[in-house]
Amino acid sequence: MAAAESLGMAAAGGKTYSFKVVLLGEGCVGKTSLVLRYCENKFNDKHITTLQASFLTKKLNITGKRVNLAIWDTAGQERFHALGPIYYRDSNGAILVYDVTDEDSFQKVKNWVKELRKMLGNEICLCIVGNKIDLEKERHVSVEEAEGYAESVGAKHYHTSAKLNKGIEELFLDLCKRMMETAQAEERSRGNGASHTSTARRGVQIVDDEPQTAMPAGGCCTSG
Amino acid sequence: MAMLTTLVCFARVVCLCRAHYVTRLLLSWCMNCRPDVQIQITMTNMFLYLDKRDTMSQRSERRGIHVDQSELLCKKGCGYYGNAAWQGLCSKCWREEYQRARQRQIQEDWALAEKLQREEEAAYVSSHSSSQTQPPQSHSQQSLATFSKFEEKKTNEKTRKVTTVKKFFSPSSRTAPKKVPPEKESEKQEKEEKLQGRRESHGENLLRDLKGIFTQPWEMASPTEESHEGKAPSPSITRQSSIETDRVSRDFVEFLKTLQKPGREVHKQSRGFIESMGNKKDLSAEELSECVQDFYQGMSDRLLNHFKGSSEKVDRVMDQVEKYIMTRLYKSVFCPETSDDEKKDLATQRRIRALHWVTIQMLCVPVDEEIPEVSDSVVKAITDIIEMDSKRVPRDKLACITSCSKHIFNTIRVTKNEPASADDFLPTLIYIVLKANPPRLQSNIQYITRFCNPSRLMTGEDGYYFTNLCCAVAFIEKLDAQSLNLSPEEFERYMSGQASPRRQDDPAAWPQSGSRVNPALSQIHHNLKLLSNLEKRQQQVTEGAQNLQTELAEWQDSVAREVQEILERYPLEIKPRASAIDAENVENDRLPPPLQPQVFAG
Repeated sequence: MAAAESLGMAAAGGKTYSFKVVLLGEGCVGKTSLVLRYCENKFNDKHITTLQASFLTKKLNITGKRVNLAIWDTAGQERFHALGPIYYRDSNGAILVYDVTDEDSFQKVKNWVKELRKMLGNEICLCIVGNKIDLEKERHVSVEEAEGYAESVGAKHYHTSAKLNKGIEELFLDLCKRMMETAQAEERSRGNGASHTSTARRGVQIVDDEPQTAMPAGGCCTSG
Repeated sequence: MAMLTTLVCFARVVCLCRAHYVTRLLLSWCMNCRPDVQIQITMTNMFLYLDKRDTMSQRSERRGIHVDQSELLCKKGCGYYGNAAWQGLCSKCWREEYQRARQRQIQEDWALAEKLQREEEAAYVSSHSSSQTQPPQSHSQQSLATFSKFEEKKTNEKTRKVTTVKKFFSPSSRTAPKKVPPEKESEKQEKEEKLQGRRESHGENLLRDLKGIFTQPWEMASPTEESHEGKAPSPSITRQSSIETDRVSRDFVEFLKTLQKPGREVHKQSRGFIESMGNKKDLSAEELSECVQDFYQGMSDRLLNHFKGSSEKVDRVMDQVEKYIMTRLYKSVFCPETSDDEKKDLATQRRIRALHWVTIQMLCVPVDEEIPEVSDSVVKAITDIIEMDSKRVPRDKLACITSCSKHIFNTIRVTKNEPASADDFLPTLIYIVLKANPPRLQSNIQYITRFCNPSRLMTGEDGYYFTNLCCAVAFIEKLDAQSLNLSPEEFERYMSGQASPRRQDDPAAWPQSGSRVNPALSQIHHNLKLLSNLEKRQQQVTEGAQNLQTELAEWQDSVAREVQEILERYPLEIKPRASAIDAENVENDRLPPPLQPQVFAG
């Protein structure tokens, strides 16, 4: 909750948005390739100099607003499934990746969506991504099914191929725009509330000091 | 500022005239044009005052509100109006006063630091010179001086001992014995041992330990104690920590000097906050955390909005503020007695110890420790995660986790030759945590969660690694047969120690799997093999040398023998010379006599 506030503050102050996006999906669906392709524009490259692909950042400029994107990779193995909530708390967006050739991985995505909606409600922007469309011939998840499902849970659906670099830029750009809208809507809903809360907070602090000093003469300066 | 002060005073006067609405109008106008905290506070107080006025009876209200003209004037008598928030001084006098106090504070800090430095040096020199039996003539003066200092130190220590004992036995002091769990006692003892110098005798150590145990942790770190330290002989129980706090506060002041006016305010607020925290030691850990987080939030809001700092700059200031505050508060808020952090620490420690048999294969860790570079990085990662406990500032602890993670990435990269993904990273981190069994892991995690600047913890790279560490710990806590791909029976047997996964391998594989489990052991095996090889070769060399020696001796003998034989076979015969050189010149005497020099007269 503190993070959301600080993010709001940063957005209001320097016109810079900071978003946290988690990558969810079973192992071997290509989460890492996807994010490496996006941030480094590399795929299975022997010359990749990055030490790791589990935490990557990207700076964007969308309609004159600066956006800092922090992409958190998560361990996809089944035995780490229970750790999900630790990863995705306070995140602004989630990218749920499945392999179009793997029906099971799509089932996993459905589980994730249920869990995310239960834990974070509608504040989080969801993207369901069918990866490996270069293997179209071996497709096991139908386009209609996937897109229909995405719509039914209020998520956007994308088809990508990290190998051919297809659909990835669009995916992240769309997600950023949606997250900005959400953030702006939140700001608006708070409205002048933002200044209200801060003065209220200050007010609380003053009241806190009151019992100690106990006199109208009190104030934080007397101790200095 | 002076004008505003007078305005406030004016508002008070108006308030006396019971013109409520005028006052409120005035006050709200003031607040709109100058959202300054100090003024706001005064105003808030006045609002409260006014509200009270509304509810109270007329008489008491008159008594409460009546202010004499002289009370409103500056206490220094300069003729301007004073302000309660400035201890009854006017803005100008207050600023002078405040500047002087601050200068004094800075000088005291420096003096204290210098004093500590001198003491340290003196102790060092004296420990060296006293070990010399006969100090050289040229050094006698110096050693004498240091000796007197040494003596002084000794007496200091004596007095301290006395006060310690007094403190220990006096019933009125706050150091009444508290229930301390045995683990904590030993832990503290360890801590104390780290802190104290090498020179002190054992008895003193014991006393100090006792003091450490029975003193409230707050007393050891509170800022008020530090101010006492300037006068009293510095108690070495807090020496090291106070050196650190001193260094941190000096750095903090130095850093804030570059910020000028905001810096002054940041300093003032931070000090005030630490002092206010001193009164809140009874609060629960969560409430303490709330206080600190509120303070961070308020401070960064103010820096952003009031001083119009850029967000990077604000972040930098907030880092320094965090460092300063948390270095001071560490002792009182790390693993506080009000929480059950310590119990959790022990539970986790036991749990990890019970899981000592977990192997790389079970966790599917993509790390091959046979590669020297990999095993090196593993050791470094373990060292880093253990080191986390020794840091005080949440951010420094985070830095340890980050460094540990970097080493882990290196191991994965070397083994798999591709960038590490989270699928690889998390199991490896779990493996490292299991191998390291870091001290007070839960306390550290709780401490970071409670007192770290949230913006750093939630979004940055450090935050990501910290989250992974939390995941690793959560996984270890809930680890079961399924998560290691074992049958429940196997898991039970390993946990109870009835079986070990290594012994199930055939005996031939034992040394191999053993070496995989412990790189140091494999190193030892390797070295032993090398040594035995060397020994064999040395034996060969000595044998060869001995052979050579005997051969040489034989050869010498044989040569001598041969020479002797030849000499015997061909004895040396020297024939006498046949004749003299002139023997053949028969007609020698026939030659004319040699010419003689003659002298002619003339």
